[in-house]
Amino acid sequence: MPFSAIDRLLRVLGRGPGTSNLPALDENNRLCRALDQNRPLSDCVFTVLDTELTGLSARKEEIVSVGAVRVRGLAIIPGESFSALVRPNIPLPKFSTLIHRITPEAIAEAPPLHEVLPGLVEFCKGTLIVGHHIGLDMAFINRACRRNHGAALANPCLDTMRMAMLWREQRSPSHYERFSLNISYVLADLAEEFKLPRFTAHDALGDALQTAYLFIYLAKKIARNTPLTLKELFRAGQSWRWYM
Amino acid sequence: MDTGIQPAGYDSIITFLEGTLPFSDLDRPSLIRIARHCLVDFFPAGTRILRRGVTEVDGLYLIQKGAIRLFHEDEGVLVDIRTDGASLGALSLFNGEKAALDAETVEDTFVIKIPRERFFEATHLNPSISRFYLKSFADTFLSKAFEEMRCKPAAQHEDHDLHVFSNPVGGLISREPVSVPFGLSIQAAAREMIRQNTGSLLFREPSGEICGIITDTDLRKAMALGLDLQAPAETIMSTPVESVDASAVCFDALLTMMSRNIHHLVVRSHGKVQGVVSSHDIMLLQGRSPMSVFREIASRTTIAGLYPLHDSITPVIRTLVQQGAKAGNITRMIAILNDQIISRLLELMLGELGPPPVRFCLLLMGSEGRREQTFATDQDNALIIDNCGVDFLERAAETYFSAFTERMVGHLINCGFPRCPGDMMASNPAWRGTLNTWKGRVETWVAAPEPQRVLASSVFFDFRGVYGHKDLSENLRQHVTSACAGKDLFLRYLAADCLNARPPLTFFKNFMVEKDGAHRNTLDIKARGLLPFMDFARVMALYHGIRETGTLTRLDLLHQAGHLSRDLYHEAREAFEFLLHARLMHQLEQMEAGKKPDNRIDPASLSALEKRTLREAFGVISALHGVLRETFRLNMG
Repeated sequence: MPFSAIDRLLRVLGRGPGTSNLPALDENNRLCRALDQNRPLSDCVFTVLDTELTGLSARKEEIVSVGAVRVRGLAIIPGESFSALVRPNIPLPKFSTLIHRITPEAIAEAPPLHEVLPGLVEFCKGTLIVGHHIGLDMAFINRACRRNHGAALANPCLDTMRMAMLWREQRSPSHYERFSLNISYVLADLAEEFKLPRFTAHDALGDALQTAYLFIYLAKKIARNTPLTLKELFRAGQSWRWYM
Repeated sequence: MDTGIQPAGYDSIITFLEGTLPFSDLDRPSLIRIARHCLVDFFPAGTRILRRGVTEVDGLYLIQKGAIRLFHEDEGVLVDIRTDGASLGALSLFNGEKAALDAETVEDTFVIKIPRERFFEATHLNPSISRFYLKSFADTFLSKAFEEMRCKPAAQHEDHDLHVFSNPVGGLISREPVSVPFGLSIQAAAREMIRQNTGSLLFREPSGEICGIITDTDLRKAMALGLDLQAPAETIMSTPVESVDASAVCFDALLTMMSRNIHHLVVRSHGKVQGVVSSHDIMLLQGRSPMSVFREIASRTTIAGLYPLHDSITPVIRTLVQQGAKAGNITRMIAILNDQIISRLLELMLGELGPPPVRFCLLLMGSEGRREQTFATDQDNALIIDNCGVDFLERAAETYFSAFTERMVGHLINCGFPRCPGDMMASNPAWRGTLNTWKGRVETWVAAPEPQRVLASSVFFDFRGVYGHKDLSENLRQHVTSACAGKDLFLRYLAADCLNARPPLTFFKNFMVEKDGAHRNTLDIKARGLLPFMDFARVMALYHGIRETGTLTRLDLLHQAGHLSRDLYHEAREAFEFLLHARLMHQLEQMEAGKKPDNRIDPASLSALEKRTLREAFGVISALHGVLRETFRLNMG
C-alpha cells in the first residue's frame, strides 16, 4: 500500500525517522542498529541477495525478480532461501528479457513489488545484506521500501565486488595488475577465476547463490584462517560502501 | 512460499545429489528432504578438516568442488585423495566414532554437508544408502596404502566382535575342571599342571567343594619369592575362587576378571563346577587367532580330522587383514599353517603305514615353495629319497613311496589343496627320485634348455623342504646353485622367457583385459602381474647364487648384494606386495562369498586410487625387464 502524502507529512512532522507502517521493517531496523561490529563474521547472519531489473537506472527502471539465500556461520544454507518474480509497472523491455530470460508472459501472473516486499523484509530481518555490486540492488529495494512503507532498510551491506578487489590486492600486491584492463569484476568471471561451482547467471536466485559462494570464498580467503570481525573487514577495505 | 512453483535455493543441492552416488538412486521427495537441511561450507586449500581420533564427525561431507587429502598424520601415510562427488566421514558416522583419518584440503574446496541427523534419517528411509557405503568399505581392497583397512568394518564380520556380548561363558568350556585334593606341595602341583597340560589347577576340600586355585602366575610368583618347592601349595593358592555362572555372557566374565585383576574364573552351573575359563579363551573369541588354529592342527589325531582345518584359515586371514598385516606377512602365515597341516598329515600317515625304508624329504615347489600361496593353491610337491645304493632297498623304497605319495595326494585334496593340473606332484614318478636322480635332472635342464624344460624347471627352482630330512633338500639346493653358476646359456634362456611377459598396459596406460570368453574384461593378476616379478627374482637369484626362494627375500638379498638399485628395489617390493595384497583380498572376498577363488580381477571394480597404484605396479615390470636385458645382454639378441 503506497504511502499517502499525508502520511509522509505526518512522518516529517512528528513520528520521527525510521518508523514505517510495517512492523517487521521497524524491528529489522532496530536490530540492525544494535548490531555489534566487533563480532567475528562467523557469528553473523547474512542474507545474500540479487535482483533482476528491467534496466539499470534506479530512477526509471523496476525489479522483475528477487532471489536471496542465507549464510550463517560462513556456511551457505540453501534450505533457507527467498525467491520471487515481480510484475513491474512498466512494460518489460526486450533487451532485459534477453539477459534474464524472464518473458512478459512469465510475469503476467506475478505479484507486484509491494506484495513481495514484506516477505523480503521478513527474510532479511536483522541480517547483514551481501550482494555483488549491492548498491544497485539496494537502491531499487529501498526506493520501493520508502515509497510503500515510509522507511528504508537499515541493514549494513557488504559488496562482494569490493571484497574481490580487496582480495586481489592482498594476493598480488603488484600495482600493475590493479590497472590491468583484462581484469573483470563481473560475477561470472570471478566465479570462473576462483574456480567456484557455477550457477545459472542472470537468474536472481542463481546469482544470489553464486554470490554466496563467492562471499564465503572471499571471506575465508581474506581472513586467512583467523577470525575476522566486521569492523576489520570494513577497515581493510577503506572505500566500503555503507548503506544505512 | 510455495516451493512447488518457485525455485528454491536447495535446487542446486538436489542437482548435485542427483549426480552423486548413492543419492542418485533416490526419488525426488527424499532428495528434497535431504537437500533442505544441507550446508555449503568452504575450506581454503590447506585447511585441516578432520583430525584422527579428535574430530567429532557431525555430518557427511560431499565434495562439491575441490580436493581433500586423507592421511595418517602419525605414520605419515597418504591414504587417498578425494575429489568432486566423493564423500568423507561416512564410516565415522556409521561407527559413531571420532574421525578415523586426518583430512586436509589440497585445493580450495566447497563441501556440501548433510547433518548427522538428516543423514541417518535418509539412511533409515533408504537402506540403499547405507548399503552403498558399507559395501564400498567391504569391497574396496583394504590395501588402500595398506592402512585404511584397519578402520574398515567388513560388514558381514561385525558379528565377530559381538560374540563377546552374546556367547555364554559355558560355551567356552572344553574340558572337565582339573582339580586335586588339598595337601599337595608346590612342586607336585606344578607337576600335575604339566601332566594335565593346563594353566590352572583347582583345589578341592574332602567334601568335594572347590576352595582354591593355583595358576601359572602363582607358580611364577613362588619362584620369584624363592619359596620352598616342598611347601604346601596352599601358601600360594588364591582363595576363595571367583566364579561366574555358565549362562553369563563372556563380556560379564571379562569385566569380572578386569575388575578383580585376575585371569581365571571358575564356571558354575547350578552350583556345580563346570570348568575354568581364562581371559585368553575369551580374547580368542574376538577374532580367530593364528595361534588357535595352530594348536588345533597339532591336536588332531586322525587324518580325517585334518580335512576341515583348511577352512578355518580364512577367518584367521580376515582377522590379520583387519589388524593391518601386510600381504607378505599374511602369505607367510598361510604358508606356516599349510606347512603345519602337511607335516601333521605326514606324521599321521607314517604312523599308519609304518616307517619308510630310507630317509626322504618332501619338497614344496611353486608358490608354496616361495611361501607366497594364497587360497587358490594347488599341489606342487616332489619327493627326494636318500641315495641307498643297494638295489633291493631302492625297489622297496619305490614301492613304499609310490603308495605313500598316492595316498598323500588324496589326503591333501581332501584337505583343500586341489590336484596340480600339470601333474607336478610326488605321486608322479617324474617328480620323485633319489638325490642322485634329482641332481641328474637338474644337470639336464641346465645343460640343454628346451621350452618344456624351462617351464618345468622354473616351478622347480622355488623348491624348499617341508617335511622329512631337510638336509636332503639342502644338499639339492647346493647342487642347483653350483649347477647354475656359469651356465649362462640356460639363464639367458630363462631371462629371455621373462621378457615375453609384457606388462598388461596398453599404449595409453590402460589395462589390457581379456577380450572375450568367460573371463571377459578381467585381468589375470597372477599371470600378468605377479609372475613377472617372481620370474625376475628367480632368474636373478639363480644367476647370483642366492639360495632363498621367497620373491621378497630374493629381492632383498639382490639389493643387499648390490645387484638392484635402491629405488628399483623399493618400487619392486612395494609393487609386488600391492599386487599380492590385491590378489589376496580378491580371493578372500570370493571365499567368503562362497565362490571358488581365482586370480581374475575386474579393473572396473577398482577405485581410482587402486587403479592408479595397479598401473604403477605394472609399470615397474618394464624397469625390471630393463635390468634383465642389461644383466643377460639380451639387447643384442
